[in-house]
Amino acid sequence: MRVTVRVVGGEAKDVEIVGAGRKVKDVIRDLGLLTEEYIVMRGSRVLTDEDEVYDGDELVLVPVVSGG
Amino acid sequence: MVNCVVCGRRAVYIERSSGYAYCERHFLKLFSRRVKRTIRKYGLFREREDIVVAVSGGKDSLALLHFLLKLSKKVRGWRVRALLIDEGISGYREVTKKDFIKFAEEWGVEYRIASFKEEVGLSLDEMVEEGRRRGLPYLPCTYCGVFRRYLLNKVAREMGATVLATAHNLDDVIQTYVMNVIVNNLDKLSRLGPKTGVVKHPKFVPKVKPFYEVLEKEVALYAVLNNIYPSFTECPYARLGVRWTIREMINKLEEKHSGIKHLTLRSLLRIISLIGGSQEGEGGPATCRLCGEPSAHEVCRACQLKMGLGLIRP
Repeated sequence: MRVTVRVVGGEAKDVEIVGAGRKVKDVIRDLGLLTEEYIVMRGSRVLTDEDEVYDGDELVLVPVVSGG
Repeated sequence: MVNCVVCGRRAVYIERSSGYAYCERHFLKLFSRRVKRTIRKYGLFREREDIVVAVSGGKDSLALLHFLLKLSKKVRGWRVRALLIDEGISGYREVTKKDFIKFAEEWGVEYRIASFKEEVGLSLDEMVEEGRRRGLPYLPCTYCGVFRRYLLNKVAREMGATVLATAHNLDDVIQTYVMNVIVNNLDKLSRLGPKTGVVKHPKFVPKVKPFYEVLEKEVALYAVLNNIYPSFTECPYARLGVRWTIREMINKLEEKHSGIKHLTLRSLLRIISLIGGSQEGEGGPATCRLCGEPSAHEVCRACQLKMGLGLIRP
């Protein structure tokens, strides 16, 4: 399945996720990122790291780390 | 879907250390309870208090201002105002300053903005340039930290503040702890408590950290859920500092071993109690012979840096 991920302050990326039942934390880790450092949203809804992702999902990653 | 441990609704947060999940309503309740507990436990505020919140316009400080404004509606003796220090970092501070002013106007908060350029004589970018011209070490985060702390204390006092609240969260505090241990600055650990300024210096404004026991991710989620998450901008100097690497290291550790951050905070609090509590303020008990501000040395760090940059004479 394919999931589109956009990091706030960065670019959007299409990510190929292999296998069913994959979770938000898997997407973040597949991107080489840390779950500690992002809040993940689907539309206006905040997801937990354990929520499942589905084919065609558009996820927005809000950085937790302040840049200053 | 993950369900809230309290009411069974859709969760927005899983606390790694306990494994409990919380919906929006119960996360916000938990957050509020934690911060209020910190305020009570360490006696951060009294019944009558003129609170000045140090703000940058970033999510942490806007979240703290939001939290204290809401809380102040229930505490009659509190007045809450804000102070923003404009270091003069092009492409960065003007964005966060705009976000802050928008928030302040929406909430009707009284505030003051003090700039490095007006108060010190040079903006941070100009200091970096002047330092380079004079062959000084490249230390933007040192200039920024020293002059920001100096101005926060000085201007908050001029505003009549009885206490200065900063948005340092658990992550910030343990990063500073690890940094100080690594560079053998153990004497500075006593300043990492939730409250500093027990020192009796008439010019020292006590400083408190109400977000001391909440994680950076929890503060960010509080900001997102309250629609106060500002534009995302990053300080151009941020990634150059040691802190950036330490933060990444601690976050990687937490990812593998849940609860590491809380344990590290407990370790810090134990050390603070062993070395005698937070008796010292940022400045220390002496008075700088050049500017008259609180200082740990005969000449304060701000004046030492000013001399190096040729802004004042010894």
